[in-house]
Amino acid sequence: MRWSKPKAVEVRCGMT
Amino acid sequence: MIPVLPRGVRLHWDGVRATHVLLAPERTLMLDEIGHAILSRVDGVTPLSALAAGLAADFDAPIAEVEPDVADFLLGLAKERLVDLNG
Repeated sequence: MRWSKPKAVEVRCGMT
Repeated sequence: MIPVLPRGVRLHWDGVRATHVLLAPERTLMLDEIGHAILSRVDGVTPLSALAAGLAADFDAPIAEVEPDVADFLLGLAKERLVDLNG
């Protein structure tokens, strides 16, 4: 696997 | 600068999402493979410079590219109190 900028994405709760 | 995961923050494999996540109280962050590779090396002992050097070797990438990316990533998490950089 090639190096790329790391990512961390926050999971937003979807909880009319 | 020695990064460490604070108390209550840990890496976890999320089988439902089929991805590694960083779990913190009431928060979940999905990680890509690079993000997980970085955080899996955060042990409270290894300095950032050594951590980046190991990643550069493993990914066969220039340290001049890897180290700033690692520092930016960890600084961003530190601002959210998901990493402590004074381990």
